Parts: sequence; structure tokens; C-alpha cells
Amino acid sequence: MLRAAAIAERAGVPSVSIVTTPFMQQAAVVSKGVGLPSLPIAEYPGVPMTDGSDAVARKIDALLPQIVAGLAGARDVARTAVAEPGPRDIVARGTLDEVQELYHENLWSDGLPVIPPTIDRVERFLAQTRRAPDEVIGRLLPENRAATVWSIAVNGVMAGCRPEYMPVLVAIVEAIAEPIFRVEDAGSTPGWEPLVIVSGPIARRLDLNHGQGVMRVGRQANTSLGRFLRLYLRNVAGLRIPPGAGDKGSIAGSFNVALAEDEDASAALGWPTFGADQGFTRDDSVVTVQSVVSISPPIYSAGTRALEHARILAEVFGGACSYWSAIGMKYARWEPLLVLGPSIARVIADDGWSKEDLRRYLHEHVTITARQAETYALQVGATSFTLDAHVKAGVLPASYATSSDPERTVPVFVQPEKIGILVAGDPGRNQSKGYVNNHIQGGRVSKRV
Amino acid sequence: MTSAEPVYDVVWPLAPSAAPPGSLAARSQDLRGKTVGELWDYLFKGEEIFPLIRTALEARYPGIRFVEFETFGSTHGRDEKELAATLPGLLRQHGCDAVISAVGA
Repeated sequence: MLRAAAIAERAGVPSVSIVTTPFMQQAAVVSKGVGLPSLPIAEYPGVPMTDGSDAVARKIDALLPQIVAGLAGARDVARTAVAEPGPRDIVARGTLDEVQELYHENLWSDGLPVIPPTIDRVERFLAQTRRAPDEVIGRLLPENRAATVWSIAVNGVMAGCRPEYMPVLVAIVEAIAEPIFRVEDAGSTPGWEPLVIVSGPIARRLDLNHGQGVMRVGRQANTSLGRFLRLYLRNVAGLRIPPGAGDKGSIAGSFNVALAEDEDASAALGWPTFGADQGFTRDDSVVTVQSVVSISPPIYSAGTRALEHARILAEVFGGACSYWSAIGMKYARWEPLLVLGPSIARVIADDGWSKEDLRRYLHEHVTITARQAETYALQVGATSFTLDAHVKAGVLPASYATSSDPERTVPVFVQPEKIGILVAGDPGRNQSKGYVNNHIQGGRVSKRV
Repeated sequence: MTSAEPVYDVVWPLAPSAAPPGSLAARSQDLRGKTVGELWDYLFKGEEIFPLIRTALEARYPGIRFVEFETFGSTHGRDEKELAATLPGLLRQHGCDAVISAVGA
């Protein structure tokens, strides 16, 4: 919204943007990031989604002077250049406790103790990559900082990574810097969190857990890779919760540890690995990053036939996805992820089902009513969303508007091929788990390591 | 005998700013007769808010005209990047003298 205003300003067209009071701090971060810190803003007090029509009208009337001032009177405020440290500048010398305090005070840590990033430690990470320290991997909005290889190493040190993780850290940042990932929306109110998935030989080399407790903090590689990404988003993308700004996750969640697949189990089933599903070979080391906005309950399923498991998966994984599917429909793209327990995958595969068969089953059997979809979208803020209009606009397929009956059912999964399926977890139990992604925000991106 | 606690020389964990320099567009001091484009992210009641603004500004500024949000499409989400690329041309094409962008929430 502010980015559109900035484009207009740069095209010589004055703008004013309407921003609600709770988002003013985030607006300041975005305005600075787009290089126009004086972007005029008219401040709407409160929360429009809980205002009735009378309140909206009253507030807009009160807002008019700010709108007019923004369009007809605003001027650039003179900016004072603030010198920032260079990569090798020593910003402080101190004991471990003093370093922790400094990083906490400056909002440079995630609230946990950090490993002090000394030049010596950073260089040990840089020695693990052929990339130049000053190479810019991408620009990370909203703060719009250059994601340099040096900054990746610094944050990798702080997060407790080992130097040999460095190629994975670079691939993670390459993934989130891709436009389709939309890192600029990583501070949106749903409070989604990236999930790193490591595939191929490097997962074994770095000792990533893919078995029992795979998503629990505890294994160094899984944990520190996940922590690194949250730290990097704070420090380089500028996504900080209060007393910082930029991250407006309303309730949000903590970082996900990195996930790895039980690739031997997957191969034994004759199924392609998750990495292969992303277009790579099993010999490729690959990092995939996607958003996770919520997690299903543990999905226990029993039986000796694929259908018995598929029914439960459709009910529980599909149920976990249903509420949020409305936003997936609005943007016609989302990529939920199903982590299948090895024993369950074994039954499904032994019954002759491929991953595609399971995806097709989920697509055909997980539905909500059109009324639910439009109602859920409305609650989030998509006040003008209708399935009919999206079908007419060519955003959704015709199956979403087969009649005008609000009780007609529509598929929860817009594109079955986008359902990720990965085998991991406890081989000694019959449990799976689903990860709901945040539609086009945090779209699945894979990078070869 | 006590051993001295180690001290660490530490570096900055942020990265260089990549924000492009820029300045606001020049403003006219009068909105009479001007064309205002409506940029909407298709969220948070813009379909209520823009008509209210239109009515109020039309009452104050004779000759003011609006290019309504449907002309541009959503500024957020699926088509955002495409719109960003075409927006300067669209603003020229529709003769926009100013824009109102909403709703940030």
C-alpha cells in the first residue's frame, strides 16, 4: 500500500496513504525502506474491521484535513544522514554479559543469548563459502537492507550455527530474497514464520534430525538454522516486535526448527523425495523455505489400507487448512505441507498410492462451503471478496462458482500440486502433522546449496 | 588466583541500507479541478472508505475528479508486482494529479 504510494511519488504524482493507528510504526519502517521517509500519511484511528459504518464515516470525515494536507501541502522533511557501522567495524568490546546487554538494548538479538560475533568467528564462516563477503544476495524489505554474505555469517555466528552450515545459510537467504517469497510481508498480522526444509546429502552431513522429535528444539543443526532465519529477519529485513517495529504479527509464533526428510524411507517407498518434488535430484543438496502460519494437531491414523489413512488426513489436515483456505482462494495460491509419518507413508505406498494420488484425494475430499470461504475472508479484512468475482476475473477455476448456492462446496486446496508431502517423524508411531502456509506470503522457494 | 573474564570485540549484525534516495513529488496547493487516483489493496473496507472520501472532496473542491480503484486493480497480493511495473504509465494515462492509497491495517 505504501509501496504503491512510493511508486506514484517517484513518478511525480503526490500521494497520501491511509494507515490505521496501530500500523503507524510499521508505516515508518516501510517509508524509510522505500527511501521516502516523509511519505504523507492520514492516520485512521482504531481498527476498521471492528468499526460499524457510522464510525467509519465519522473517522473518514475527521481524516479529511490530513488527506488534503498530504496531497496539497506535504513537503519533504530534511533528512539527517546517520552513519552506520561498516562490516569490520568493532561496535563494542565487552565481556559476554556486556555483549548480551548491548545486543538486547539495540534489538539485535532475539531475546536469547547470542554467540558474540567477533571478526575471527565470522571469518571461520566465510571460509566455508566461495562467495565474497560483500556480495549482495538480495535486498530485504521492509527495512530494505542489502543481504550481504558478511551479514549472513555474522547472524549465523550469533544464532549458534557451526561454520560448516554457511552454504545452507546462504541458500536460505537466497530463497527469502526471491520476489515470490515476499519477505516484505513476513511482518504481516497473521504472524507467519518461515520453515526451512533441508534436502539431499547435506542434511546427513550436517546431522539434521529427520526422525523422532524432528520439529523439536534440541538438535544443533535443526535448531540453529531455524533460529538463524528469525534473527536474520529481525536484523536485516527489520522485522522486530515491540519495542521495535516492522513485525506486526498479532500473536505470531516462535521460529521453526529446520526440517529434514527421512529420504531413505521415502526412497524405499519408491516415492520421489521432497527435494525431487521441487525439481532436483536426490544427489542435490537443496534448501526450501516456505511460510507456516499454523500447525495441525498431531494426526494419528490407523489401518492397513491407504484409504483409511487418507480419510483421517483429509479430516484433520484438511480441517486445519479450511479456515485459512479462504485467503488461499483470494490469492489463488497456497502451499500447505503434510509431514507424513514413515509408517503411514509405508501403508499408503504399499497400497499402490503415489504422492499424486494422495494429493488428488485431498483436493477432491477437503471442501468448505462457499459461504464459509467468503465469511472467513471477510473476517481477515478481504471485505470485497467473492468467489464469483474471482472466477469471473480468471483468478480461480470455474469449480469455485458452479452455482449461486452459498452452501455449495468448493475445494480447500486450490492447486493440488502445491500440497507438499514429505516423510519424516517417528518411525515407531503412526503420526503425521500438517503445516498451513500463509498463501502467497512466504511462497515455497527452493535453492541448490 | 583469578582468571580475567574474556572480552570480545564484536561487529554489527545489520547490513548496509539499500533504500534508494528519493524525494516527494511536487504538490499543487489547490485540489480544485484535479484528478485523484484511488489505489486500494482490496482490504479493510476500502469499498466503504473511498466513496466517503470522494463525496467529501467533491463537496469541497469543484471540478475534482476521481479515477476509481477498479481501474488500477489491487495494490497488494497476487498482481502487486505487475501493477507496480505499470502504475506510472497508468497514472499518466488517466491524467492523475495525485493518488490516495489505502488501507494500511
